[in-house]
Amino acid sequence: MLRVIAVTVVIVSGFGQSVVDQTVALSAQEQPKQQEVFTPIDQLPPQEQLPAAPLLVGAYVFVLLTLFGYMFMMSRRMTVIQREVDRLDNDMKRSGRS
Amino acid sequence: MPKWFNSAVLVCGVMFAISPLVIAQAPYESTMGLVQKVFYYHMPSAWIFLTASVVCGIASARFLATGKSRHDRTALAAAEMAVLFGLVTLVTGPLWARKAWGTWWVWDARITSSLVGWMIAWAYLILRQYGGPGSEKLAAGLALFGMANVPFIYVSVNYWRTIHPATTVVPKLPFSMGFPLLFCLAAFYLLMFLLMKLRVRVAEQQARLDAIYLSLDEQA
Repeated sequence: MLRVIAVTVVIVSGFGQSVVDQTVALSAQEQPKQQEVFTPIDQLPPQEQLPAAPLLVGAYVFVLLTLFGYMFMMSRRMTVIQREVDRLDNDMKRSGRS
Repeated sequence: MPKWFNSAVLVCGVMFAISPLVIAQAPYESTMGLVQKVFYYHMPSAWIFLTASVVCGIASARFLATGKSRHDRTALAAAEMAVLFGLVTLVTGPLWARKAWGTWWVWDARITSSLVGWMIAWAYLILRQYGGPGSEKLAAGLALFGMANVPFIYVSVNYWRTIHPATTVVPKLPFSMGFPLLFCLAAFYLLMFLLMKLRVRVAEQQARLDAIYLSLDEQA
């Protein structure tokens, strides 16, 4: 009997503690701050006014243009070398005939 | 070029074409919002920049040890990759920072050491271009310093006071942000590999051409 009472007390006290913990946790949560005034966007600090989209688009456009530019440069290099090889080939053939 | 090259170019092109769609699926970061999406191109290009610097250093060390010109050509191609992707990193970073930090540039350890690493890669290419005969060995020595700078760039955010995000950000990314990053990383690494292959090919053809000219001069 004593054992049953002791177990009940432990369970109830544990439950009670958890209820207290939850209550404290709930009261600790801050409610959203009540808005007292509407502020136009142009009155925000400059950093918060700055639109993100142009910076993001600018970054992606820069990356793609740089990569395409490099690939274009590389294809030009290859074309120049190929043209030189062809010219040398023709010269050697001509000199071989003569 | 090998047969698989055109297929790999196609795969890479498709990956880059659909990457904006994959990035658009990623959620906005809670404090930075839309501009944080620069991250999905900024970080892969930074990793390629560091990888290319290491590849350039290793190839240069092998060139100095063995004297084989194929290592030199690999180092040259890697140095160009370091300059290209370093430029992308150093331009996209400030575009992100302008909104996120309120400034284009801060002289902290990460950003300054990245700039130094990029300038070493530039110095390598300038030396190769204008250094005259024997410059490839001097440039190879310079590339070793470029490689030694890489670990410093990587850990600098963990040891020095900076507003640049720490290296712990990437391993802790949720799947919704981690997948687009991995996708872009794969696309950038594939692009780096293909561009390096192409650049090595150009260098080989140039070397062949120089050899032909040399033999013609000897015959004349």
